[in-house]
Amino acid sequence: MSNTHRLTELFANTKGTTYQCDTTNRIIIQFGETRVSLRISDFLTFKKRVDSVDIHTMIFNTDDAYDVEVIDAPRTGHLFVLGLCDLIALRDLLAGTRFVLDLNTLLNERLYSTLVF
Amino acid sequence: MKDLVRMRTSLKEEIERILNEQIKMEAHSSAIYLAMAAWCDRNGFDFSAGYFYKQSNEERNHMLKLFNYVSDMGGHAISPEITNVPQDFDGFRDVFELALQQEIAVSNSINRIVGTARQLNDFATDQFMQWFVKEQIEEEYVARRAIELFDVIGEEGVGRYMIDKAIPKITYGDVEAQ
Repeated sequence: MSNTHRLTELFANTKGTTYQCDTTNRIIIQFGETRVSLRISDFLTFKKRVDSVDIHTMIFNTDDAYDVEVIDAPRTGHLFVLGLCDLIALRDLLAGTRFVLDLNTLLNERLYSTLVF
Repeated sequence: MKDLVRMRTSLKEEIERILNEQIKMEAHSSAIYLAMAAWCDRNGFDFSAGYFYKQSNEERNHMLKLFNYVSDMGGHAISPEITNVPQDFDGFRDVFELALQQEIAVSNSINRIVGTARQLNDFATDQFMQWFVKEQIEEEYVARRAIELFDVIGEEGVGRYMIDKAIPKITYGDVEAQ
């Protein structure tokens, strides 16, 4: 990521941080050692995929196949391989990010809608 | 900070969700009408079969209208998966009663979308949905009139044959203008 890119931190938790890049109009997810950059529509798709994992089954099913979840980050060529704790942390990170994005929409609507640049 | 969500789409998440549900409902209606057309064909009600084929096409066009709107607004239009389509019906009159029930369900669903659009100040969707509100007046009228024909003509003797012939002639419009 070039330093000339304007990054705004959106949300952070113990496992990661998300940023918005106003130069490329992308959301950057830093999760552990992994860093991916997503278009907003792909970010929303990715969040849906993460949210759709059945955590209850992961907890209570003793089969090894349910210990990890593999989730594709759209158009990045990157696969997130997540254990239960990582999945919950990523879900929290994305939910917090979505909240900040919605808050930003609300602020833009309320504060800047009358301004013409 | 740029508003990336708003730059992508003017549709709020809730509106996008209920419009996608409506897309699915219209597609489901189209599939049900197709099954009704096949049933009518199998049972010798040729004119009614033609009427249901036409209705099926109309519902599909409604679905596409909604689909294009969601896409044009930058939303994610979801191509629906259609299941649970009844293939058999109890009788000639039952087919039309089910058709009316389906239209009433669609009208109620459209009313709910308009209500939500107004709650969320989405005037574009409100305006867009007005076409469907008007369309449902006609759809319900035609479906209700078809059932009336069963009472007016009666099913005895050549009644069903007469009803079948009268079905495609049902039109909705201003009586004075006709």
